[in-house]
Amino acid sequence: MHLTEEELNEYLDNEIQDREPIELHLSSCAECAARLAVLQALFAEIESLPELDLTRSIAARFAPSLSLPAQLPRWLTLTAILQAALALVAIILAAPVVMDLFPVIQTPSLTDIFVQIQSQWTAWHGILSNFQLPSLPEIPVFEFSSLILALILVGVSMLWLIGNGLLLRNHIK
Amino acid sequence: MSAPTDRDLILRARRGDAKADAFGELVTRYQVSVFNVCYRILHERAEAEDMAQESFMRAYERLNTFDLEREFGPWVRRVAANLCLNYLESRKATTQFDEERDADKGQQPEAVTQNRERSERIRQALASLPPHYRVVVELRHYQEMSYDEIAAELSIPLSDVKSHLFRARKILSEKIHAPD
Repeated sequence: MHLTEEELNEYLDNEIQDREPIELHLSSCAECAARLAVLQALFAEIESLPELDLTRSIAARFAPSLSLPAQLPRWLTLTAILQAALALVAIILAAPVVMDLFPVIQTPSLTDIFVQIQSQWTAWHGILSNFQLPSLPEIPVFEFSSLILALILVGVSMLWLIGNGLLLRNHIK
Repeated sequence: MSAPTDRDLILRARRGDAKADAFGELVTRYQVSVFNVCYRILHERAEAEDMAQESFMRAYERLNTFDLEREFGPWVRRVAANLCLNYLESRKATTQFDEERDADKGQQPEAVTQNRERSERIRQALASLPPHYRVVVELRHYQEMSYDEIAAELSIPLSDVKSHLFRARKILSEKIHAPD
C-alpha cells in the first residue's frame, strides 16, 4: 500500500500531526520516496521564482499630506471639547443678562403686539441713550464682575478662532 | 539611532504625522514584496503595480483598525492577494504575457538566460492556473500560510484549500516539465 498524493502533499506542507508512520513508510518504500522527491523538487522550483523590481516607486505616489479620514490629533480634539465647554459656560452666564434685556411678550393680539413693539422701542431707545455695561445679576453660587465676564467671553472667542484656524489649516494641508 | 519599527510608523501614520511621512516609509519597505504578490497572481506588470498601489491604499484606510500585535508586511501581502483574486474574478481571465520579460535575451550570458527561461516557464505555468488555485499557491508557497489560515483568509472550506492546492501543483508540474 503506497502513500496517497494527499498524504505526500500534507506531509511536505507540515500539515500532518503524526509524521512517524509516513516517515516509516518512506524509509522502506523506494517508489513513495521517489514521488516525495519529485514533489519536493516542484516545491523548490515554485519557490525559486526571483522577486522582480518595480519600474517606479509606489511610495512616491503617496503624498506626504495624505491624512487619515476622521482621525484628528488628540490635542485638537481636546481643544474642541474645551471650546464647547467654555461656550456652554458663557451661555449660562450670559443667559440672565439676556433674559433681563428681553422681557417676555405675553399678549398675542396685533394691537398688543404693536403697543409692545412701541414700548420696546421706547425702552430700547432709553437703553441705547444711556448705554453702559449691565451689572451682573446675583448668581447663587458664583459672583462675577463685568470685567471677568468680559474676559471669559474674549477668551472663549479667542479659543474659538484659534481652534477653527487650526482646523482650517489642517484641512488645507 | 536605530530605524523605527513598523509599529512606530503605524502609530505615527495614525496620528497623521505628515512630515515624517510614516506611511510612505512603510510603503517603501514593503512595496517590492507586495508588487511581487500581485505580479505572480496577475502576470502583468502594469496591472500588478496598480494593484500593489491599491493594496497600500486599502491598508491605509484600515490602519486605524489594524491590530498592532500583527505584522504589517504579511498583512498587507494578504490584502494584495485578496484584491488580486477579486480583480481576476471581476474580469475575464486572459493569458497575455508581459512582453518586457522576453526582451533582450540574446545579449545575456547563457546561465542568466537559462534562469530567466526557467522563471518564465514557472510564471507562465502559474498564470495558466484558475484564479482560486493561483491565490492558494501564492498564500501557501510565497506567504507560508497554513491550510487553516488560507481557509480563513479566503473564506472557503478547508477541503477546498486542499483540493485547490493539490490540483494546482499537479497542473504546475505538468506545465513546468512539459517538453518544449
